[in-house]
Amino acid sequence: MKTFDPVQMAIPFFVLAVILEIVLARMGRANARYETRDTAVSLAMGLGSSIAGALMAGVILAASVWAYQHRIFTIPMTAVWAWVALFFAEDLTYYGFHRLSHERRFWWASHVNHHTSTHYNLSTALRQTWTGGVAGTWLLWLPLSFLGFPPAMVAIQKGISLVYQFWIHTEAIKRMPRWFEAVFNTPSHHRVHHARNPRYLDANYAGVLILWDRMFGTFIPETDAEPIRYGTVKNLASFNLLTNVFHEWIGMARDVARHPRHALGYVFGPPGWSHDGSRDTSRTLKAKWRARTARREGQGPTGRGDEAGANKGS
Amino acid sequence: MTPADATPTLEAIGEEGVALDKALIIQLAGSAVAVSLLVALAAWARIARPTPPLDAEAARALLAVEFPDDPVETLWIAADGAGLVARSGERALVAWRKGDGYVARDLPWAAALAAGSAKGVVVLKTADGVARLAVEEGQVWPPPRFLSREAAA
Repeated sequence: MKTFDPVQMAIPFFVLAVILEIVLARMGRANARYETRDTAVSLAMGLGSSIAGALMAGVILAASVWAYQHRIFTIPMTAVWAWVALFFAEDLTYYGFHRLSHERRFWWASHVNHHTSTHYNLSTALRQTWTGGVAGTWLLWLPLSFLGFPPAMVAIQKGISLVYQFWIHTEAIKRMPRWFEAVFNTPSHHRVHHARNPRYLDANYAGVLILWDRMFGTFIPETDAEPIRYGTVKNLASFNLLTNVFHEWIGMARDVARHPRHALGYVFGPPGWSHDGSRDTSRTLKAKWRARTARREGQGPTGRGDEAGANKGS
Repeated sequence: MTPADATPTLEAIGEEGVALDKALIIQLAGSAVAVSLLVALAAWARIARPTPPLDAEAARALLAVEFPDDPVETLWIAADGAGLVARSGERALVAWRKGDGYVARDLPWAAALAAGSAKGVVVLKTADGVARLAVEEGQVWPPPRFLSREAAA
């Protein structure tokens, strides 16, 4: 079965766009930062992800075909209305997948790879997971085939969504026109999603339409008052590719082995959950940030370590 | 692609998978070359964030970002400005350079004081990372200031 694959088709465009961003930044014409090892990890993740995807493709396709064989309706692939319906249905599915991938550790273990760069450039878009197939998030798209959308149609729409999400991984574009920012996911909205600042955590899960975040209360706008810092709450200590791929899986397994009675919490709780509350989740980090902000607003600026001595290398 | 193509049999999927292997390998090889060229281009461009050595002001700013709720009692900056150790109660707050940014972790203060140093480098082991910080020539770890604070406590 030869199917049109938007992602495969777009690869030359991805490469050219990265080259353009680097060259323009070098010329001082675009706002972009590239660190060599960070870029290498991002691109190697992209390459590895396509291999992992190819290995899992048969299973996913077989499951999709099975779901389609048991479909409720038969939706014609040639009808415009079917594509419009699928656009919304797939994008809502993506929102659900993405939210789940951030709010529950089992799926975060797979998705965290995409967020480990402390940079935000077009190469970051290619920093994709190797373990999505194992995490099973692809199951979330099966209901579309069960509903009656042909598997190839779903795969194409999924690919279109992924291609759309490539260009929003940039600092080179500050804001799109207001009407566009209101409806679509944009570089500005997605920068917030990649932020590690507490105020921006767990927000803007959109694929193509930012409307879902606005509807479900997860939208946070980018503010110039607080520049974005990229990466994860605890940035990785190494550029090692395998560490990048597996660190959260290993951490989760270690936690389960140490605290088997709390295994469910460590696997399906939010990232950062701990049985004794000794770690921070997004919720606690946001609460602390709100408390700090309230203190500052109530008391004015406070000194920090002003009396602490500091001398270099002694 | 026709609508009929959209619903293959499971057997057809398997047969086609074998035929795709060769094309996939060629494509992966091409992708690997492209990745190498892009990394080389990024290295050539030299557009990483400027990361000058830490001074006291920059170190405090870094601590304020990474440990916003932890009051700093005393601060030490590595000889090359590529890292810091600060005391906050019974915890040592540590940050060290990684690429053009910093990684921040903490460890018990006693463990930081007991860390070993050799050839001008102190090695601080945290739960999931190791900081290797330069100690100024002729100096020892821990800095006397840290010990005098300890004695005072």
